[in-house]
Amino acid sequence: MLLIQTNAIADALNSSEWVFPITECFHIAAFAWSIGLIALVDFRLLGLGLKRETVSQVAKATAPWTLLGLAVVLLSGPVLFLSDPRMYLYNPSFRFKIGALAIAIIFNYTIHRKVALSESSSTAVRVLTGVVSLALWVSVVFGGLFIAFA
Amino acid sequence: MLLSLVQWLQFTGFFTELRGSAYVYPIVMSLHMVGIALFGGMVLMTDLRLLGWAMRKRSIADVVNQFRVPKRWGLLLTVTCGFLMFGSKAEEYYYNAFFRTKLILLALVVVQELVFYRGVYANPAALDQAPSVPGSAKLAAALSLLLWTSIACCGRGIGYIEPPLDKIHAQLLPPSTYPRFTEPRSTQQGEIAPCCSSKPTP
Repeated sequence: MLLIQTNAIADALNSSEWVFPITECFHIAAFAWSIGLIALVDFRLLGLGLKRETVSQVAKATAPWTLLGLAVVLLSGPVLFLSDPRMYLYNPSFRFKIGALAIAIIFNYTIHRKVALSESSSTAVRVLTGVVSLALWVSVVFGGLFIAFA
Repeated sequence: MLLSLVQWLQFTGFFTELRGSAYVYPIVMSLHMVGIALFGGMVLMTDLRLLGWAMRKRSIADVVNQFRVPKRWGLLLTVTCGFLMFGSKAEEYYYNAFFRTKLILLALVVVQELVFYRGVYANPAALDQAPSVPGSAKLAAALSLLLWTSIACCGRGIGYIEPPLDKIHAQLLPPSTYPRFTEPRSTQQGEIAPCCSSKPTP
């Protein structure tokens, strides 16, 4: 615990007033990209918009960009975390967010992916998948923002 | 003039309530973020298609036209929540350098849209007929990505500055005319302002 509280990244982050905000900008831009693209697939699953494309076409077209966005989010996130690990670890919103994030990512690359890439899944399954996915990602965003208010 | 307008706005009953609420304010901020995610995803995909980097098998017209509606919903959510956040702390925002920069960038986005509207956004089908994506469309997409990313970063920056409202008020107005003073505030001569409680001077 003490080891991660005093680490090189924390020193770098806390020594310059610009490092943390700039890392945060990457975090925000990248989450907007990735969650926005996942939402696009969800909307298609729900039958809202993009009806000229099939679900799997939308999913395939967005997948590499979603992955890129998630990669940036998952790289910048720990950097932010390491600036003050103790504060984050004891922050209930942070804990909620990490839990929701883990479930959201697992869901996204298992059930969500399977349903989106299959052209034969029923409407009910698609709608349920879309709703669960949106709910999970919105929870992650709320959890992240509420860190500052917890 | 503008200053009195923002002061009036933030002290309307609605925004006073919003500012004081423990949960509504962060919820509005979270919804602002959700809107950004929606809008950002759509903008990214549209721009990447125009740049020829993504969804190349689909026509530009298909991508631009179909993303238009969800993009607008995302923007509407973001702007509505953004205005609610601004309104509840309007005077702070007024003095905030990042907020001012953000407004300038938003104005530039409007200019960008207007400049490229006829050539790019209004008639995406024409772009598909060209042998390769025209340079103007690529420029429009690159500018859009740059501007929107900068706007998001400036938005985050707003939270890092807290304009010294107390000092500003002390210079602008005699203490008794401003309704929100609650703490003792020394005047320039080092006296306690008459409106306030009797906390001893250090």
